Formats: sequence, C-alpha cells, structure tokens
Amino acid sequence: MKYMTSVNGKEYVIEVDRDCEVVVNGEPHAIDFHNLTARGLVSLLLDNHSYEGVVEENSGNIWDVLLRGELYEVKVQDERAYRLAKARGVLAEASNEAVIKSPMPGIIVAVLVDERDLVKKGDTIIILESMKMENELKSPIDGIVTKIMVEAGDSVEKGFKMAVIVNEDEEGLED
Amino acid sequence: MTDGLLTKKFDSILIANRGEIAMRVLRAARELGIKAIAVYSDADRDAPHVRYANEAYYIGASPAAESYLVPEKIIEAAKRSGAQAIHPGYGFLAERASFAQMCYDEGIVFVGPSPHAISVMGDKLTARQTVIAAGVPVVPGIEAGLSDDELKAAADKMGYPVLVKASAGGGGKGMRPVYKSEELLSSIAAARREATAAFGDGTIYLEKLIEGGRHIEIQLLADAHGNAISLGERECSLQRRHQKVIEEAPSYVVDEELRQRMGAVAVAAAKAVGYVNAGTIEFLMDKDKKFYFLEMNTRVQVEHPVTELVTGIDIVQEQLRIARGRKLRIKQEDVKVKGWAIECRINAEDPYNNYLPSTGLITTSRIPTGPGVRVDTGVFPGYEVTPYYDSMIAKLVCYGETRGAAILRMRRALDEYRIMGVKTNIPFHQHMMDSHRFLSGQFDTNFVEERFSMDDREAIHDLQAAIMATLVAHQQGEQASQIISSSGDGGRNQWRWHYR
Repeated sequence: MKYMTSVNGKEYVIEVDRDCEVVVNGEPHAIDFHNLTARGLVSLLLDNHSYEGVVEENSGNIWDVLLRGELYEVKVQDERAYRLAKARGVLAEASNEAVIKSPMPGIIVAVLVDERDLVKKGDTIIILESMKMENELKSPIDGIVTKIMVEAGDSVEKGFKMAVIVNEDEEGLED
Repeated sequence: MTDGLLTKKFDSILIANRGEIAMRVLRAARELGIKAIAVYSDADRDAPHVRYANEAYYIGASPAAESYLVPEKIIEAAKRSGAQAIHPGYGFLAERASFAQMCYDEGIVFVGPSPHAISVMGDKLTARQTVIAAGVPVVPGIEAGLSDDELKAAADKMGYPVLVKASAGGGGKGMRPVYKSEELLSSIAAARREATAAFGDGTIYLEKLIEGGRHIEIQLLADAHGNAISLGERECSLQRRHQKVIEEAPSYVVDEELRQRMGAVAVAAAKAVGYVNAGTIEFLMDKDKKFYFLEMNTRVQVEHPVTELVTGIDIVQEQLRIARGRKLRIKQEDVKVKGWAIECRINAEDPYNNYLPSTGLITTSRIPTGPGVRVDTGVFPGYEVTPYYDSMIAKLVCYGETRGAAILRMRRALDEYRIMGVKTNIPFHQHMMDSHRFLSGQFDTNFVEERFSMDDREAIHDLQAAIMATLVAHQQGEQASQIISSSGDGGRNQWRWHYR
C-alpha cells in the first residue's frame, strides 16, 4: 500500500508492503511498531531508533501525533484518495476565505473591526474571554471583513462562526 | 493585630479548593493524620481531590462563582462535615479577609493569617504605607489622594517612565506604563476605568517604572508565637501577561549575603502586620540588585514546591502545624538552601497560536518520573479541561545539585511528558530550556513577551510522526477491510503489531 503523507509542509511517499519494513521516498527503513494502548500510545523502532508517541485521529485523514512534547498534524492519504483530492483540490483551494471560529466557549469582550474593514494577517479581530483570560483572535489572512456575526457581551460556544474575512485580490471584490 | 486569628489543634480539615493545590493540601493533611474533606462542583465530581479525600461535599454548579467562590457554601459544607479547619489553597477565597473572618466567627481555624493582615496586604496602597513604616524599601512613587493635575505635576518632577497602578490591582489589571508626560492623564483614566470594572475600586497611584527588573520573592513562615523565618528566594521573572510560567530557587543573581538581607527585610514586612502562617513577599530587583517591596501574597503560592525542594521543608505541612498553634520547629540558622529546583507550569494552551487556551478531554496523561522529578497535578485520562477554571493543569518540578543539572533534568522530564487531548505549553518550556538567555540566567520580567519567540523553534521529528500516523491509518484500513472480507485472523500479527 502506498501513502502520501504530509506534515509541516513536507511530503513523504510511504510504502507499507513488507514485514518489518517501510519505504519512505524510495528508501527502505527497518521498523518494529507496537500499539501499547487502545488510546493511541505507540512505540516505533525505526532502524533501531526508539520513539514513543501518541497517535489520534483528528478528522478525516488528519492525524494528531504527539512526539517528544511536540504535536504534529499529519495528513495521510492513500494513493487513490490522494489523486481524487488533487483533482478536487484545484476548486477547493481557490476559496480565499477565512472564518474566525471560537476556539472555546467564552464571552466576546470586543470586536475590533467593522464589516468592510481591510485587515492584515495577524491583526486582532475579536477579543474573547475564556478561562479567566482575554484572548486575541487574529486574522489568518490579508483581506476584507465581509461578515461579523457577534458583538461584545455575546456568549459563544466552541466552534461558533464569528467573522468572515475574504482575500479581495483573489475574489476581485469591489469596495 | 491578630484579632480574628484562631489557632488550635484540629483533626479534620476542609479544603476549599480544587485541582493540584487541593491534592497538595490533601496529601499534607493525610501525612499528618488529619482527616481531609473535599468540596466539589458539578465539573469536578470525578476529580482526584474528591476521590482521594476522606469525605467530599457537593457545593454547586461548575462556574466558580456558583461554587468555589461562594463563602456561605464552603462554611455550610464545613459545618455539615464537622470540619474544624479550612485551608483555602490559592486563588478563589484565599485572600478574602471577609472569608477568614467568617471562619473565625464560626469557630473554624482558617489556615492563613488574620483577616486584618489579609486586608492590609490585599490593598497595594495600605500595604505600601505599612511596610514603609517598618523600614522596608519600596519603589519611589506618588501616593493616591491627589487630583489628576497634582499627580501629573508630581510625575513630571519625578521623571518618566512611570507605572500607573490600581490600589486593588492584581494580575496586571489597572496597571499601565507611561513613557511620556502627555500620555499620563489618558493612562490614569484608562487604569481607573479598568480597576473600577475589575475590582469595584478605582483608586490609583504612581510608581517609578523600573525597567529591566527581575521579580524575586521571599518565602516566609511565621507562627502565632511571634517567630518568623525566611526560606530563601524564588526567581519568578519569567512571566507572560503577569502570569508566572517558570520559577526557580535559588535565583541566579542572589548570593548568600543578599539572600539574608532580603530575608530580614521580608520578615520585618510580615511582622509589621502581625503576620501568621506561610506568606510571600514579592520584590522587584533592579539591575544594580537594589530591591523594592512589590506586594505580599497572604497564602501558599503556586510555586512553593521549588522552595520545598531546596530547603527540605514541607511548607504545606508547616502551614497546618502553625494553624494548630504549634511553635516553629525550624530556626533561621537551620534554613539551608541546597541544590537547585525549577518549576514549569504546564498550561492547556497553544504556544504556537498566541497561547490560546485549549479545552477538551484529556485522552492520555503520562507523567514523567524518576530521580529528582516531582509532578503536582489534578488531571488524569478522562478529565475534561473546561473553560470554568484556570488553564494550569500541572506543575513539573525538577531538582538538581546545580542549576545546570536541574535544567538537564527538566529537559529530560519534558521529553517524557505525554498529554494528549488538549494542546499544552510543553514546547514553550522545551524551547526555553534551550534558550541561551535562560541558560545564562540573563532575563527580566519582559523577556518572555518581548524577546522570546516560538517562531525559531523547529519540530525535528516530522519523518517519525509521518510514519507513526501512516502506520496507524494503515492498520485502521486493514482492520476495516478484514471486517468486510471476514478473512479470519488474517495478518493481525504480520507487522508484529500487538494490541492490548
């Protein structure tokens, strides 16, 4: 079985066919892989180098891997899924829209932008209070604020859509 | 000045807190043969402090304002259980004079100082005036009670930068640095607004802003018989948004002579309010190692374990002994600082995304162990990190013969820590342990926010992570196809994959 696996912008072609071996980007590696708990604790001996990690399904083909303190988001696709996604990807990735969602339940302290404002990547859009702290939620892209769904004082649940920012260059919006 | 202070022998104690500090107090009580009584909200029924206690009493809904922060509910639980004493931990009701007074009025021992000491030290302005009278150095400043124009004239005379501070302040609220005369009045107005909103008290005053200062604090123990000792200093300069993230004992910049001097001043400050029990005097230290009183914390601190490790003194047990009316067993000359201890606060937050708090169900929690490693925590697999309480989920504390040995041990322990289900700041700590400024002890209270970045950290195990995820995905696919084709035990062990 051949997989296209990507993490932190790096792509690996990983072939899993033979006992005790994986081929990564054409290079064979000896492996011994054990699942230690049903909760995703695994032990990997990669060419006798030992790594303990925790692997959990995030969503769809995304996996979270905890390794030596760092959390890696890994996308695993088998060959067929990869080709399908690639064919669809052209359409999907054209959408230059960022939705600011609430990362946790909380109360809106302030909305720092108005609809139709131009914002830069990293600009604070909304301040959300949760866990006794005020948290600044920033825009992940340059663009224009097309929609604001909350106002100061609102309580929001985790995942609530609060604002939409669209990159105007790509969308050709008029202002 | 010790009006409202009750000390007497007790055999049962109610712990008016949750999380790791409730566990910490519970353990100290059990070790002294004292019955430990827990209280819990809806969110905490399954928490360890409930499971490990002798008795546990429900006190209300998950938001702290409906449970842990309601004095009447705590007192009621104490009466229901027959608890003879209450330990408030830190946060919640720990520094509320009115709560200490309620305990006294009910004949319950409050493990802490008198209501008088709490209220004097709880107000920055009265604390400042009280310690000045005891000869304790404070940051040069301008007292409250002046009109805005008078404040401005005085500030212009003192020189900039200045710090506008709220008398009732805490956690950085109502605090504003001002670098130019023309910015002063608007900053005063803003600080006053913030303090009124947060504390219901808009009193502000001005202090000279000490730049490049370090936050160094002295741990104290004082009994009800007039004895007080200092247990050396803690270096707490590594902070984010006025919240400490890493603490160590001793401090890289404090030698024995300075330690004794700071200790003596701290004891004098505590005696000025007739202080009894464990407490901490926080100092600001400038580049010339001149130190100034900042405030007193009239409770046990989050970071108390580093002092315990280098002095061998169990601070929480001492708190209980003092509250039982015992005399201090330790004399000042017996306090010796040996070795080095570092504490990393493990918070549920994302260091790669502006330290945004992270909530969710903890699926894996594997705690590092081995020589010189201590973990104080209240979480476990199956525990839900909720937005109701603060984001600290554990304290990882490492001890070594030297600072270098403690840092190496901390790196090892951070490597071994596995928490899954929420994002944690473990990568932040790992990055700090590699930082040259940290290694060389050269940092101040602005270091984390102004000169430390996660951007230059590189995750180096991409390949291994990719292989792990791919193999687990592959196993899942194989299992699914096995179910479809029902091909017996086909290939279950072909990869030497073992399931338990």
